[in-house]
Amino acid sequence: MSRGVRVQPRGAVRPGIRLGIPLAALVAALVAGGLVLLAAGNDPIEAYRTMFDSSMNGVNAWTRTLTLATPLTLTGLAAAIAFRMRVYNIGAEGQLYMGAIATSGLALWLPADTPSLVMLPAIILAGAIAGAVWAAFAAVPRALLGADEIITTLMLNFVALSFMNYLIFGSMSFWRDPERPVPQGLALPESAELPILSGRLHWGIFVAAGAAIGLWLLMQRTTWGFDLRTIGDSEAAARYAGMPVAARIIVVLGISGALAGLAGAVEVSGVTGRLDPKSLAVDIGFTGIVVAAVARTNPLGVVPVAVFLAAITTSGSSLQTVGVQSEIVLLLQGLIFLSVTASEFFVTNRVETPRIRLRSAPPEPEGAGA
Amino acid sequence: MSDPASAVGTPGGAAVLAGRGLTKEFYGVRALDEVDFDLVAGEVHGLLGENGAGKSTLCSILAGLYRADAGSVLLDGEPLELRSPIDAGKVGIGMVYQHFRLVSSFTVAENVALGMKRRRTSRRQLETEVAELADVHGFEVDPTAQVWQLSVGEQQRVEILRQLYRGARVLILDEPTAVLAPQEAERLFEAVRQIADQGRAVVLVSHKMREILGHTDRVTVLRHGVNAGSGITSDLDVTDLRQMMFGTSDHDPAPRRDSHHEDAGRPVLRVTDLRVTGDRGVPAVHSATFSVGRGEIVGVAGVAGNGQRELHEALAGLRAATGSVVIDDIECNGRTSRQRAAAGLSYIPEDRLGTALAPGLPLDHNVVLKSYRRPPHSRLGFLRRRRIQETTEDLTDAFDVRGARKGLQVSLMSGGNLQKAIVGREVTGPHEVLVTAAPTRGLDLAAAGAVRDHVLAERAAGRGVLVFSEDLAEVVDLADVLLVMFQGEIVGRFARDEVDVDHVGLLMTGGAEELT
Repeated sequence: MSRGVRVQPRGAVRPGIRLGIPLAALVAALVAGGLVLLAAGNDPIEAYRTMFDSSMNGVNAWTRTLTLATPLTLTGLAAAIAFRMRVYNIGAEGQLYMGAIATSGLALWLPADTPSLVMLPAIILAGAIAGAVWAAFAAVPRALLGADEIITTLMLNFVALSFMNYLIFGSMSFWRDPERPVPQGLALPESAELPILSGRLHWGIFVAAGAAIGLWLLMQRTTWGFDLRTIGDSEAAARYAGMPVAARIIVVLGISGALAGLAGAVEVSGVTGRLDPKSLAVDIGFTGIVVAAVARTNPLGVVPVAVFLAAITTSGSSLQTVGVQSEIVLLLQGLIFLSVTASEFFVTNRVETPRIRLRSAPPEPEGAGA
Repeated sequence: MSDPASAVGTPGGAAVLAGRGLTKEFYGVRALDEVDFDLVAGEVHGLLGENGAGKSTLCSILAGLYRADAGSVLLDGEPLELRSPIDAGKVGIGMVYQHFRLVSSFTVAENVALGMKRRRTSRRQLETEVAELADVHGFEVDPTAQVWQLSVGEQQRVEILRQLYRGARVLILDEPTAVLAPQEAERLFEAVRQIADQGRAVVLVSHKMREILGHTDRVTVLRHGVNAGSGITSDLDVTDLRQMMFGTSDHDPAPRRDSHHEDAGRPVLRVTDLRVTGDRGVPAVHSATFSVGRGEIVGVAGVAGNGQRELHEALAGLRAATGSVVIDDIECNGRTSRQRAAAGLSYIPEDRLGTALAPGLPLDHNVVLKSYRRPPHSRLGFLRRRRIQETTEDLTDAFDVRGARKGLQVSLMSGGNLQKAIVGREVTGPHEVLVTAAPTRGLDLAAAGAVRDHVLAERAAGRGVLVFSEDLAEVVDLADVLLVMFQGEIVGRFARDEVDVDHVGLLMTGGAEELT
C-alpha cells in the first residue's frame, strides 16, 4: 500500500530548527527573486551585490539601514505585543502620526532654551502618550463593547493622516512654518533634536533597542507578561485563572499605541526635525505588521527582522542605478514575507515523505497515549 | 504486514470490510500495532477497549480519516485505498463521530443531504424521503426541525440517518452511548439491531462491557493498540472480556468503601437559592440549594445539558448568578474567580484544554496558572523561573504526570496526563473545597483510578468535594450524598445508603414526572 506525505506536529522545537528553517526560507525567497530578476533581463548577482553594498556594506550603508530600522522596530514591537494577545492593532500608522504631532507640538510649545535633558524625555514621552491615547479610542470600545479593533484601528489611521495633513497643508496651524509660502512644518528647536551617532543615525536606536529588550523582559519574566501569554493562548483559561482579561486588553492596546507613538516621536526628533507629513507617511506603521508577523511576535525577533526589511527597503533606490526597477524591491519584500511566514508550518510540523525522511522518528515511549 | 490469506476465520460469511496489519503512530507512540479486524455483513460488531487502546484510531482508518502507516484495508476482499472520508463514503463506509458534524441552523433534511451531489430534488421530496427513511428505522425525527432544537439523542439519529441515506453498508458508531441517557441508549441499540438485520454491518465502539455483551454479535478487543482477541459475543462473559481488556482477570474494580464516614464537619460550601442564566439567556439553574460538608463528597448526577455546567461555572465565578454561595464562611457571590480561589475553592472544569489549561503553553506555565502571583513563584511581579520549575517537577513526580518536555505545549500531551496535572494543581496548595466536573471523562482506567483516589483523599483530608459527572456509576460510587439534576432543578437527593440507581436514572431523564 502506497503511503503519502505525513505531517506531524514536532512538539518542542529545537533552536536549530527554529532559526534554520526561516533562514532556509529566506534563501529560497532570494533565489526565487533572482529568477524574477533574470526573467526581467537583469543580472541577479549584480543586483543582489548592489543591494548588499548600499544597505549593509560599510558604515554609511549601515547608517542608512539602521536609521530606517529604528522606527520599524518600534512599530514592529507595537504590532507584536498586540498580536501576541490576538488583538489586531493595525493602527500603528495612525498612532505614529499622532505621536509625531504630539512630539513636535510639545517641542514647539516649550521654550526653545529648555535644556535637552528635559526637552527630549518630555517630547518623546508626549509622543508615546499620544499614540496610546489614539489606540485607546479603539481599545475601550473593544474591551467594553467588543467592537472589532481591526476596523476601528484601521479607520483611525485615516483620521490621523487627515489630521496631520490638515495641520500642515490645510490650515495655518501652530505646527506650520508661517514664514514660508510653501506649506511646511515649523523646524523644532535644536534642544529637541536627538543626538546624532553617525550620518543620520540618531539616539532613537537606543530607544528602539531598549523597547525590544524591555518588552521581552515584560512578556517573559513578569507576572504581567504571564497574564498576557495566557490570555493570548486562551481567554477561557485566563478567566478560569482569574486574570482581568478586559483590563489587560485595554492596557496592551495602549502599550502597542505607545510604541507606535514612540516611532513617530523619534522620527520627528531624530530625522525630520519638523512635522513633515510627506516623510512620515511612508507606511512605517503598516510595515511594522509585516515585521511582527515575520518575527512571529517575538520582541527579540523583531529587531533583526526590522533591520533586514530596512536594508531591503533602503537598497531599493540603488537598484535603479543598475537598471532594476524599484518595484522589484517590493516584489522581493513580498516574496520574503510569504516565504518566511509560510516556513512556520515546517517549524511546527515535521513533514515526512515516503522516501526522503527529513528526520527519522525513533519510537519514544513517553506515556503519551493516542 | 500480514498476508490476507492468513486472516482469522470469519463466521457468518466473508468479511465485507477488513483490516490487515494496520499500524499507526502518533508522536512516536504506537496507537495501533499490526491490528487485524474483520467485519461481516449483517452483524453488530463490538469494538471494546480502554480509552487510548486504539479504538478511535482504528475506526478513523476504516472511515478514511487517517491513513495507516502500514497495513491495508480490504473491502469485499479487494485492497482499498482511502484518501479521505469522502472516498470511504463512496464505497459505503460511514462513521458517526463522538462529536457530531451537523450544521445546527440547518434542518434535519438539509443535514442529511449535506455535502451530497446536487440532484433534482425538491425540498419537499427530500423531506419525504428522509421521513420515510426515519420511519423505516423507527426514528422519530421531524425532517423540518432545525438541528439546534433537537436533543443530543435526536441529533445522533440524524447522523445515523445521514449515513443510511448515503447508502452506507458499513456503519461505524464511535462511543455512541457516551452522550446518551440509559433509556436513549436502549433505543439506539434497537435501531442498531434493525440496521444490521437489513444486511448492513455495524461497528459499535464502547468501553462499557455491559453494552458490548448485551448488544453485539461479535466483539474485538483492543489493548494498547494491539488486537487482544476477537470472538462471538455469546461465547464470552465479563471475565473473558476483562481479561482481554486488561490482560489479567484479578484487576477488580476498586472495592466499594464504607457508606458511613466520621461525622461530616460543618458545611464548607453552602449554596442557597442560586439561579443562573444560560448562554441563550434562558434560566439554566432554578433555585439550587445544597451544602457540602467537610469530609463529604456530594455527587451531582444528570444527563449533560441540564444545568450542571452552568451551576459549576457559577460556583467558580465564571458565570453571573443570583443567590448565595458561601465558601468556608465567606460570601462569594459576585466575587471574581480569583477571590473565590483565595476563599478556598479549587475547581476542575470539564474543559481541560482551553479552560483548565492554556493549550499552546508548556506544562510549567500551566502548573502555576493560579499560583504564579504568589511566592515562591514570583516576587515583586517578577517570575522566579527556577521555583516554577521545581514546583512543576514536584507535581509531575507526585501525580505521575508523564510525557512533559521542556517547552512542549500541553496540547500535545495525552488527556490522562493532563488531567493528572490539573488535579495535582488543584489539590496542592491551600483550599477547603474541590469542585470537579467530569473528572475522569475520556481517561483510561489507570488514570481514572488515580483521579478517583485523589478525590477520595480530599475527603479523607476533611475537605468538601462536589463532583459533577455524567457517568452515573462513577458518581454513585464516589458520593456520600447524591443530587440529581434535571432541566435546571435538583430533582432528587439521596444519602449514600438510599441510592437506587434505577430511580436515579429515571429522575435524570425526567421519568419521575411520568410516574406521578
